[in-house]
Amino acid sequence: MRNAVVGGLIVLVVALLVWSGVHNLHARRAEEARARDQQMTIAVDKKGATATATAGGETVADLRGKPAGVFTLTSSTGKRVSLNDYKGKPVLLNFWATWCTPCKVEMPWFEDFQKKYAAQGLQVVGINEDDDAQSAEVKDQIKKTLERTGVDYTILMSDKSVGDAYGGLDVLPATFFIDRSGKIVAQAIGLASKDEAEQNVQKIVVGS
Amino acid sequence: MRLHVAQCLSSVMLVTGVVCGVSLMPPATRAGESAMAGDAGAVSKGDHVAFIADAQSIAANRAATVNLHFRVEPGFHINSHTPKSDMLIPTKLVVAMIAGDPEVTAVDFPVGTPFAFAFEPKQKLDVYQGDVVLMAHVKAATGQHSLKAELRYQACDQAACYPPKTLAVEQPFTAK
Repeated sequence: MRNAVVGGLIVLVVALLVWSGVHNLHARRAEEARARDQQMTIAVDKKGATATATAGGETVADLRGKPAGVFTLTSSTGKRVSLNDYKGKPVLLNFWATWCTPCKVEMPWFEDFQKKYAAQGLQVVGINEDDDAQSAEVKDQIKKTLERTGVDYTILMSDKSVGDAYGGLDVLPATFFIDRSGKIVAQAIGLASKDEAEQNVQKIVVGS
Repeated sequence: MRLHVAQCLSSVMLVTGVVCGVSLMPPATRAGESAMAGDAGAVSKGDHVAFIADAQSIAANRAATVNLHFRVEPGFHINSHTPKSDMLIPTKLVVAMIAGDPEVTAVDFPVGTPFAFAFEPKQKLDVYQGDVVLMAHVKAATGQHSLKAELRYQACDQAACYPPKTLAVEQPFTAK
């Protein structure tokens, strides 16, 4: 009788383990399928972003072939920086905010590009678009974001009008690839892949 | 009147959301409990969230609840009231407390749903998608009333995010 009870318990435990394994497998497959669906959506967005027709259903200005809007802003370290300071150099100009999760995905890529293409003179410049960026709370969030993403390139604080010179940005991230002559060669509104971003960098570092 | 509301928003502002995640019923289910207005739910371009006012009645002179219906544009999400990162902007409701208007004591926010960007699958966010219903706890005298508030939120889609927005809310109701 005792053996039968022990045997029954063992069968029950094994059955529970099997059920749990199957349940976890189904849950994992469902999650993977969801991620694949999202990836497909991104592929569509990415295409739209580089074509710069729409982002999130909103029309985005196509600035390719146009001169980059010149600005002078204050950096996160208090220094005044102008786009003219980088005359003759290729510039990757990225608009971001602390509340923008996709922005924080690509910022480490840009740090990599800054190092990889330093010999060709690439300058990566980030412009922070947080509201109330002078408040202690937002300053702290910006600092944390830069630490977490490992960003060491120049970060400027937006004056809220610089975005107007780049199509009146209402979507982040927004990245502009500016060649040595100061012309916008490519732009990406929303997150594109790292490969695509690097291809755009290669377009502007030519001629070094 | 607008000025009066603005003054009250700045001087006697009640930032609600002290009670959150109380209701566990799926928002979509609750949203279907009352009839929506004719073209309600249409999202203004660039807003990504719409407020849907509908006819509601409550018992007068006792604690009651008024639902506030919102609809997030398909393909978009907004952070829940309790996003899982201090960097993200939570959805909040700021209620205008105007003399003579019904007393709003608290607002319950629905629980969010887990969400991860495909490009960042390890970071689990807590978001609202589709229909979202907030439940305002009120006490009102007999008659017609209007609950005025502002919804503050920040929306994203699958690959981009949009600046924080404020949506005006005005929910009429009758206390009997």
